[in-house]
Amino acid sequence: MIENPPVARLDGVSVRAGNVQILRDIDLTIDPGDALGVFGANGAGKTTILRVLATLQPTATGSVEVLGADATADERFTVRPRIGYIGHVPALYPELTLAENLGFFARSRGLDESVAASALADVGLAGAADRRADRCSHGMQRRAEFARILVSSPVFLLLDEPHSALDADAVDLVDAIVHRTVDQGGAAVLVSHDRARVRSLATRTVEIEGGILR
Amino acid sequence: MIGFGSQAALIARRDILRERRSGEVLWVTLPFGAIALLLVPLAVGTDAPMLRQIGPGIFWVVVMLFGVFISIRQTSSETDAQRDQLALSGLDPAAVYFGRALASFLFLLGFQLVLGFVTVVLYDISLEGWLILPLTFVIVAAGLSLLGTLAAGIVATGQNAAALVPLLVAPLSIPLLIGATQALEALQLGRSSLTWVLMMIVTVIVLAIAGVLSAQPLQETR
Amino acid sequence: MTPREQTIERPTSVWPWITMGVAGTVTFIASMAVGPDAVQGQLSRIMYVHVPAAWLAYLAFFVTMAASAMYLWRKDLAWDRRAASSAEIGVVFTGLAIGLGMIWAKPTWGVWWTWDARLTLTAIMFFVYLGYLALRRTTTDLNARAKRSAILGVLAVVQVPLVHFSVVWWRTLHQPPTLLKPEPIDMDTSMLVTLGIAVVSFTVMYVAMMFKRIELARLEDEITEMQQTADVPIAGEAVTAPALERGA
Repeated sequence: MIENPPVARLDGVSVRAGNVQILRDIDLTIDPGDALGVFGANGAGKTTILRVLATLQPTATGSVEVLGADATADERFTVRPRIGYIGHVPALYPELTLAENLGFFARSRGLDESVAASALADVGLAGAADRRADRCSHGMQRRAEFARILVSSPVFLLLDEPHSALDADAVDLVDAIVHRTVDQGGAAVLVSHDRARVRSLATRTVEIEGGILR
Repeated sequence: MIGFGSQAALIARRDILRERRSGEVLWVTLPFGAIALLLVPLAVGTDAPMLRQIGPGIFWVVVMLFGVFISIRQTSSETDAQRDQLALSGLDPAAVYFGRALASFLFLLGFQLVLGFVTVVLYDISLEGWLILPLTFVIVAAGLSLLGTLAAGIVATGQNAAALVPLLVAPLSIPLLIGATQALEALQLGRSSLTWVLMMIVTVIVLAIAGVLSAQPLQETR
Repeated sequence: MTPREQTIERPTSVWPWITMGVAGTVTFIASMAVGPDAVQGQLSRIMYVHVPAAWLAYLAFFVTMAASAMYLWRKDLAWDRRAASSAEIGVVFTGLAIGLGMIWAKPTWGVWWTWDARLTLTAIMFFVYLGYLALRRTTTDLNARAKRSAILGVLAVVQVPLVHFSVVWWRTLHQPPTLLKPEPIDMDTSMLVTLGIAVVSFTVMYVAMMFKRIELARLEDEITEMQQTADVPIAGEAVTAPALERGA
């Protein structure tokens, strides 16, 4: 039987910024079906590890392979659209409405804007679709970010504090998105402080402390 | 995947829509440029023949110096989160570069038209040889938007862009400044302005190539 | 990545200092030994510093352009250090050339500044590379800094000839009044030889300065690198448990 290739593999990865070391010598393999919870104190490097997995973070040493592509080579550009990354700060354009934001996203993936509209409806924002992003609450903006995931159906989910600022309905939505991705053979990485919530969702968990994984 | 042209158009449409909502160019940069045109006669004197003579030159200097703010407005307000999502979108960085420049080009064209009108009124400019103006307007707007977008990409980080980009752009925009002023002057003196126009076109082409080649390396550095 | 030493060797090379001293002394003696110009008198001696300084400025900027292109090709930080060192020296000598030119121009032509094409271009180059140095100060990430400044360095390569062409051509159409036109000094052989000695001395001085500056740049980079490895603080350790919890 042929084993499924891992969704992502980090080998001896360290990351520096200015004159501090954020991550050192990280080894991590994420297989299809994994939902990995990552815990750690403020500033421990949880967000950085997500950006490494998203092929966005330059590394000082080690090798990063994501969806079969070497993250330091040009191949990363071909796999990036299959990565769904939601940072802890919403990336919406404040002057544009939610529908326009999602429409821009859908069209950048070669999809029709109607896909964006139905995704907004699915996250319960149909009524606010024509509202400017900067006039929406933080929680609504977070929901709109998750609508992006519904538009592009990525195979590799990277979620930074997925449950923060969300009400109970929206939390269930996030859990459903994670389950769906994992069940379809994808993988998810969830960075969080909410240990209880993430433990119920994750297939395994790790802790970042002192720049290394435990 | 969508084509290169559609990607650029998508970015340009986003920038135009954002400008339409925020009105930064229309309500801030444009009045600022118009005030500059008003300040010069207050400082140098209101002698009509002198103003008539220096008017076109002042106009182009204002376009060059204040036009920079148009090409950096979005890059300098872009957040890290937005930059990350754009990098993950799979859009070709060169298409993003052209899309941004295209939106700036349209704003700069409008900026030139309005300020051109203000200059004609305030400085009592003769419009002899004006047929060359639409051409120089288009070329200067193209060159300045490409140069400004490129410089903003090189500087990248928000808080530095506002101060540093104009310093980088101003000396490198000199071929456009000289070309634009001399093309009109040549016509008014009965000479050919073809060489000046060609020089500006070469500048635009060089900037477009430089922007395309540097688009990907610049997107990847933070 | 090249293997890195964990201890920094102090720069011990003395020859650049000696070379700079000798080259400077030679230039000084030569420019004092030669007779004053028949028309300009003692003032002409400025030329023996002004002309080599201007030459060095152009040489230095050319090296910056070439080293920037080499960095983009080889991705080796050594080329970035060469480009940056040369730009710094170039800016200093451009400033010197412009300043001395002004001191020379005032008594000779009666003005501090004249819109001569070469002069205008030198001033523009001064600002282009001032911008280059300002850009280098905006980030501490060595590779990001190298990449951004190399792209600007190469952009200057393609854009400066266009600037040059436009300025020269603009000047040919607008000749300055003859009164302000630079009058070429009728140089005899001894003056030419002196100028030759000065240019060669300055070039030698540039090589020595480059060596010393690159040495310094390498040390700076090494310190930055060392701070980033081994016993540096781990980002997460900057945040510890609140005191409340500890007291309980």
